Amino acid sequence: MSEKYGIIASFPDTPSFFHAAEKVRDAGYKKWDTYSSFPVHGMPEAQGQPRSKVPIFTFVGGITGFIVGLVMVWYMNAYDYPLIVRGQPYFSPVFPFPIMYELTILLAAFGTLGGMFLTNLLPQHYNPLFNSDTFLEVSGDRLVIAIEARDEQFDPVTTRQFLEEIGGTDIEEVSA
Amino acid sequence: MISDTKNTQGNKVGMIALIAGIVGIVIALFGFKQGWDAGEVRPIMSWLIALGFWLSIVVGMLFLVQIWYVFHARWPTIIRRQCEHCMAALPYLLLLFLPLLAIPIFHENAGLLWKWMDGNNAMPGQITVAGDPLYDWKSPYLNIEFFAARAVGIFLVFIGIAALLRKWSFDTDTTGNVANTHRARRLSALGLFLCAIGATLASIDWFKSLEYHWFSTMYGVWFFAACMRAALASIIILCVILAAKGYLKGILKQAHRYDIGCMMLAFTVFWAYISFSQYFLIYSANIPEEVFWYNIREKNYNGDLNSWWWVSMGLIFGHFLTPFLLLLWYKTKVVMWRTVVVAVWILAFHLLDLYWNIIPGKVVTMDTTEGYLVRQFSITVYDVAALIGIGGICIFAMCRSMKKAEPIPVRDPNILTSLNYTE
Repeated sequence: MSEKYGIIASFPDTPSFFHAAEKVRDAGYKKWDTYSSFPVHGMPEAQGQPRSKVPIFTFVGGITGFIVGLVMVWYMNAYDYPLIVRGQPYFSPVFPFPIMYELTILLAAFGTLGGMFLTNLLPQHYNPLFNSDTFLEVSGDRLVIAIEARDEQFDPVTTRQFLEEIGGTDIEEVSA
Repeated sequence: MISDTKNTQGNKVGMIALIAGIVGIVIALFGFKQGWDAGEVRPIMSWLIALGFWLSIVVGMLFLVQIWYVFHARWPTIIRRQCEHCMAALPYLLLLFLPLLAIPIFHENAGLLWKWMDGNNAMPGQITVAGDPLYDWKSPYLNIEFFAARAVGIFLVFIGIAALLRKWSFDTDTTGNVANTHRARRLSALGLFLCAIGATLASIDWFKSLEYHWFSTMYGVWFFAACMRAALASIIILCVILAAKGYLKGILKQAHRYDIGCMMLAFTVFWAYISFSQYFLIYSANIPEEVFWYNIREKNYNGDLNSWWWVSMGLIFGHFLTPFLLLLWYKTKVVMWRTVVVAVWILAFHLLDLYWNIIPGKVVTMDTTEGYLVRQFSITVYDVAALIGIGGICIFAMCRSMKKAEPIPVRDPNILTSLNYTE
């Protein structure tokens, strides 16, 4: 089990960490990430991450809820058991609107929650990075960039050199 | 940073606005006079619509500024100053309201516009206002003296709060006195209540009482929602213009525009929620003295769909669905021209919403079996003239205020947070 997961490098302060991330992005690496115990403003852009896909899940959930509410009321009040209420028609888009509206919100919220879990690859109980004692200090004050071995550009020698060039210290390989 | 950054192009824009305003007002008042002499109310409604349109924008900004103060919002500090400039239009709007107040005082038919003001006016069903039990019940509120007192009171509340907020904010520019911010915040807590009551009474008196038979408890909230949408759309257009051609160049950031865009989305939903709730409650209860208000906005007395049905559909799909779907997209809120297109769209439909609320009414006639006709949708020359006229005066007032004070509140305690604001 000596297969490599990747290489990690630490950075002394937030600015060098931030600019190192920009250099990794510009070098064309895809399978890598930054780790810190606090949010670094602008890091998603420095990492070249595209905009979140969660709104799509929200939108699809919302539309589904709207249609489900519409069809449900039509099925119950106009098709399966036609019922006259207050002398109004069996079906109209007006009176089931609260139901359509509530289901839109409910399923949009479910879509958001589910989309967040899916796009964050959660739940994830284990990560090979935990094998490194250096990496565990990230929950203290360490700032770490990890480039994974499954990246196409990854090479044990040149990637290590690259991380040294951009100012990384305590560079070590992490086994899978 | 003091005098050289003050608005100099504003002089020219202000002069053009003033000239356009005076020309527009002269034409609109000519129409007003024609209507006054002929006893024809439509040209007078043009004035009411235009006044309502510009007043809703300024009152919405008054609400916005107070909400920002109360919530201690730091990011809109640079935008707040632009709202304060626009609030300078309020005293002019009071002046422009006076022609409407002249009708009950000087016209032979005091109820030419608001028909409950004259007991001799005929209502459908071969009765007069004086013989109408519903008017009898509502007369402690709907009488000319109380109406005039309320109108003056409403304007004094708006003008007074706006003047104090402006004075304290401008004073901070020179003295840097933080106490001004605290004062403004305390006033806003009270002012929001007063302005909410003021806007509610204004909408009930000026728009809703055109059909005084009607009942709706949502109407004030509808007007508040409409004001907020109009104000947010206007402020984003104004800020983008100032960032492109004027003194906000390099100051207005994407983050500011994004947040205003988010509020536009929120109030689009809010407006739809309120407007639909009003419809839904009346639809569900199905009581004749309430549903007629929606009936005349859909059908003529003989059951045929009328022009208002198309306007109603236009409001549902144009004033809610289209801006709602567009504003859901992140790009709409950050790409400048897209935000402006949506803002102009919202303003246009806000105007249509006012038409829809103000113009339809039962015009009494003895020719038809039901005794009334519905006044149909139309856009007249006087509508356009009044809009340009009153708008020109408002823009003139804004430009005049821009010359007096700093473009942004340079010594406000929150100015740095606002300048460095990021998403």
